[in-house]
Amino acid sequence: MTTFVFRNQTVEAFFGYDGMTYSGYDDISMVPGEVDRYIWFYQVPVNADSAQLAQEIESYSSKLDIVLSAADASKPFVVFSLVNLFPMRLTGDETAVQQAVTAFNDHIAALAASWPNVKWVDFSEFTARYDADTLVNWKYYLMSQTLLNPKLARDFQSWWQRIEGELALQRKKCLILDLDNTLWGGVLGEDGVDGIKLGGDYPGKAFSYWQRSLLQLAQNGVILAVCSKNNEPDVEEAWQHNPFMVLKREHFSALRINWQDKATNIREIASELNIGLDSMVFVDDNPTERELIKQVLPQVEVPDFPAKPYELMPFFKQLVEKYFRIYAVTSEDRAKTEQYRANAMRQAEQSHFADLESYLYSLDMQLDIIPADEHNLPRIAQMTQKTNQFNLTTRRYTEADVQQRLDQGWRVFCMSVRDRFGDSGITATIFLEPTDDTTVNIDTLLLSCRILGKGIEEAFIKTVFNLLRLDGYRHITADYLPTAKNGQTADFYDRMGMTLEATDEAGAKHYSMALSDMFEIKNYYNIRVL
Amino acid sequence: MNLEDKVLEIMREVFEMENVTTDASQKNCERWDSLHHLSLASELEEAFDIDLEPEEIADMTDFSRVIALLETKVK
Repeated sequence: MTTFVFRNQTVEAFFGYDGMTYSGYDDISMVPGEVDRYIWFYQVPVNADSAQLAQEIESYSSKLDIVLSAADASKPFVVFSLVNLFPMRLTGDETAVQQAVTAFNDHIAALAASWPNVKWVDFSEFTARYDADTLVNWKYYLMSQTLLNPKLARDFQSWWQRIEGELALQRKKCLILDLDNTLWGGVLGEDGVDGIKLGGDYPGKAFSYWQRSLLQLAQNGVILAVCSKNNEPDVEEAWQHNPFMVLKREHFSALRINWQDKATNIREIASELNIGLDSMVFVDDNPTERELIKQVLPQVEVPDFPAKPYELMPFFKQLVEKYFRIYAVTSEDRAKTEQYRANAMRQAEQSHFADLESYLYSLDMQLDIIPADEHNLPRIAQMTQKTNQFNLTTRRYTEADVQQRLDQGWRVFCMSVRDRFGDSGITATIFLEPTDDTTVNIDTLLLSCRILGKGIEEAFIKTVFNLLRLDGYRHITADYLPTAKNGQTADFYDRMGMTLEATDEAGAKHYSMALSDMFEIKNYYNIRVL
Repeated sequence: MNLEDKVLEIMREVFEMENVTTDASQKNCERWDSLHHLSLASELEEAFDIDLEPEEIADMTDFSRVIALLETKVK
């Protein structure tokens, strides 16, 4: 990946040299097109003439606008907010510089809201960790034009790496929580439903804040689960009868309240929710339990738990920043907890039916197949970034990438799925590249693992094949590219009746098929093509 | 680890080069440009917990001068 950095100071020590190209200082005359990404990282210069300095800062907004309109809009453009690293006011009522900085930061927030390729990064989150003397190193500034202390380069790199993960929408999916002395103070089995510390004064108040914060996390799409050594009826009683309980049964997508070892429980939760162990974070006050999980399930993240209840809020902030924050959350993310819970109910239902077909009938499934448009584009791009298991080629695309392909004449569809237990939202997509008048290549085909196990993938692809046939296409080509996680799709195209043409040494498989007849699709799917 | 080895190790890291030898200088080492020079100074200050003056930094034009300077600074 190559990145071009617009800057007004020396920043090479922070972003490094590999794949990086830098503009001249405050030089916007050259906006290269042949890069994968742009970064705008300006810093407030030092100038005792505050009116002049404010004017200079004001000019950055229009410079940024010029660069943005000249840059390739299909490439990500990351803009750092401005921080006044060395505020200097000759009179107490002097506000021009601060206002100019605020105006610039407001401007970039507005740009990020209106340009799909622009993302803004709050640089003050990094600088707020240091005092003024640490932030600025005058010796190096005067030798090399870098106000930000080069000794912070390593810290900066690790912070920036995390922000890049947020921009790429990478995060952990599930937070597994213990109960006693973790979600409330005290031990339920000993202190009783009303004896545990929750609500009221300290320390109960600390656990209330912590539970409310966790609820917000769940509403932002993080799946919560419980893994606790307790009697389940006691916990049910606490959920129902303790008036201060914020997190209750309905907020958790999976429960393991028993006396089995926690490693086995966590493995079961992973398979029940159909997510990888490397997507899980385990929080438990008991160091022995934490050690067990670290030893037995090293893929699971196990942060240390704070010793004092008043440390729970900083602990929460650390959890969010380290594991769960992403640049933006979609409505599908927000609804996720509900969807996983509905899945658990479907599984319970399944056991009541003698055969799978009558179960599938009973679900009353509605599949809406929708061409890509401006409303579903962010979700489509997000799925290409996040879906690992049912993903035939695992090609990652940004919104701008998808738009570019649509402009080139590709056909992109997504599918929204619901049944009588709930709405899973947009959970599948297919990218079709016409390679000649009658042939289409499947560039990307993926389904969220939440909707697997109901034959939906087959109904989806056969409906798309029928649409293509009606549009005059007669041949399909497709690839399967193996990854560490997509093994379950290795024979998908074989099962769909495609012909294996070649397998290369890396295990990639190439398929083709003639579209001669229309496919029949089971009638327990109600399919609409929108 | 003696001083020379430690400095060589820092140089390898700063210049991102596998082979840095005791005859390295700004003249014969392409990576040792003005930007890397300041990174080198900053890393040496951190590693040996010393302060280098701008004039001293400007004088560290080859490996032996770096060592000579550090010998006056590091107790």
